[in-house]
Amino acid sequence: MTNQIKLNRRRFIALSVVGAGGMCLLSRCANSPLSRWRFLTEQESVLLDALVEQIIPTDEWPGARDAGVTNFIDKQLVGPYARYQETYRKGLSAIRETCKANYQKGFEELNWDEQTLFLKKMEAGKMAGPFWEKGLDRQLFGLIRNHSMQGFYGSPRHGGNKNNVSYKMLKLDYPVIIGQNRYKI
Amino acid sequence: MTKNKIIKRVLFIIPFFLIIFLILFGGFYGYWNSASPDKTCSSCHEIGKSVDSQSKSSHRNLHCKECHGTALSNGIHSLKEKGMMFVNHVKEKDSGNIRPSEEQLLEVMTNCQRCHTSEFADWTSGGHSIDYQHVFLNTKHNSTEQINFDCLRCHGMFFEGTVIDVVEPLNTKGPWKLKDGKRAAMPAIPCMACHQIHQDGLPHSRPDYAGAKSIFYQKQDTGFVAGFYDRHEKIYLPVSQLPQLNLWEGERKVRVSDDPVMRNCVQCHAPNAMHQAGTSDDRTPRGVHEGLSCMACHELHSNDARKSCKSCHPAISNCKLDVTKMNTSYADAKSPNNIHFVACADCHKDGIRRTRN
Repeated sequence: MTNQIKLNRRRFIALSVVGAGGMCLLSRCANSPLSRWRFLTEQESVLLDALVEQIIPTDEWPGARDAGVTNFIDKQLVGPYARYQETYRKGLSAIRETCKANYQKGFEELNWDEQTLFLKKMEAGKMAGPFWEKGLDRQLFGLIRNHSMQGFYGSPRHGGNKNNVSYKMLKLDYPVIIGQNRYKI
Repeated sequence: MTKNKIIKRVLFIIPFFLIIFLILFGGFYGYWNSASPDKTCSSCHEIGKSVDSQSKSSHRNLHCKECHGTALSNGIHSLKEKGMMFVNHVKEKDSGNIRPSEEQLLEVMTNCQRCHTSEFADWTSGGHSIDYQHVFLNTKHNSTEQINFDCLRCHGMFFEGTVIDVVEPLNTKGPWKLKDGKRAAMPAIPCMACHQIHQDGLPHSRPDYAGAKSIFYQKQDTGFVAGFYDRHEKIYLPVSQLPQLNLWEGERKVRVSDDPVMRNCVQCHAPNAMHQAGTSDDRTPRGVHEGLSCMACHELHSNDARKSCKSCHPAISNCKLDVTKMNTSYADAKSPNNIHFVACADCHKDGIRRTRN
């Protein structure tokens, strides 16, 4: 038989071992460092942390950064708020580029008052330059403000309000303690 | 090629590929179930958070498979389940809020008892081991109080549907039956109702025998192991994050124990919305027992309280009274003096005589 499959026992074992090893390596491939973010890049998350902290700053209670507002926004951007993905991507990039051009450093590296001033200009729609499409500044500011409030005061299940921080601040019992209408104990 | 040759070739090829498959699968399966979860389970974005929390928990020394089993531990059922996980992963189906189903949780629970045998036996002997049929087919309860969606807050909290999918009819006339008869014997308050297995904590370790204090009052705090599963939000809250009960007896604020574990109890054994003592299912100690924690009298898992009196009221008491024989609900279920609320004045209507020293 000329076209007989020639595979001796030694070669069979060698191939099997290589195959099994290959499968193990496959799982290693899947083990590449995974980002903790769903939509945001690491750089964007640092910037967004600084932005949301400006909206709800830390005082005697944790602010938006520690309450996980960035996580809330990131989570919603791959869910119900997917329609805002482009605005965030373009807007965050515009903030980064503007800061680089004007201050030679990132927004998150500016001091508190400089950051506040920057955001006031955004809110007023006064950002100028090639990075800003018409209305993007006000639109992005509005989104960040609204989403910060939602993430900070909303339910922790949506990714923000870490450790129920806003509920504790507002002295709200959470979960609400309420019994059934028990007829008789 | 002759027919015989084809048959011979097929007879060779099929076992050959079968063996190759078994070797590959065996290698992969062996690797997956022995390597660190960092290199296996948490390769999936969805599982990463769970692996991370497990690594900070008192169960950190256990491998995932110890509780969750392997792809083969539950036969075709688990194979199908793992297969679907793979399919969803490849399809990039959003599984951001991945969490075990009720069925999976109950499977995990069977593994709890392997290590926590005593606690499991206690739980089985207590009221919290109640099953679906005893909760939802209780004629006395159902005819007195309308079954409603909030029942599932404390019973069957891991059920994926609503109460409409559990029992019918939803009225006070009955007769009631479970929509899925298979649920009848399923636990309605499983371990995970009060325990998050991945909760922050430290594993128990051997003490420093040279330092006696470290064995007793300076023992390392391993953290609380209790908490509450909030069905509404589908999140788990450790007792340290639960609110303390504010309770009122008329205008008077009742002193409530600050025992964190008790915060778990009052989530279900709760007063009405006005937080008036004794309303709804509130059993917070008042009267002579005001300020005590539920745990002062009730065992943790069995909730047994039969041996509790003697912990605080020993036979050799200063008052020479055997409290277990007093006219309370402890001695007689029909007594008007509920052991949770009984006050001195309930028996001593004319006040209490001052004892001579």
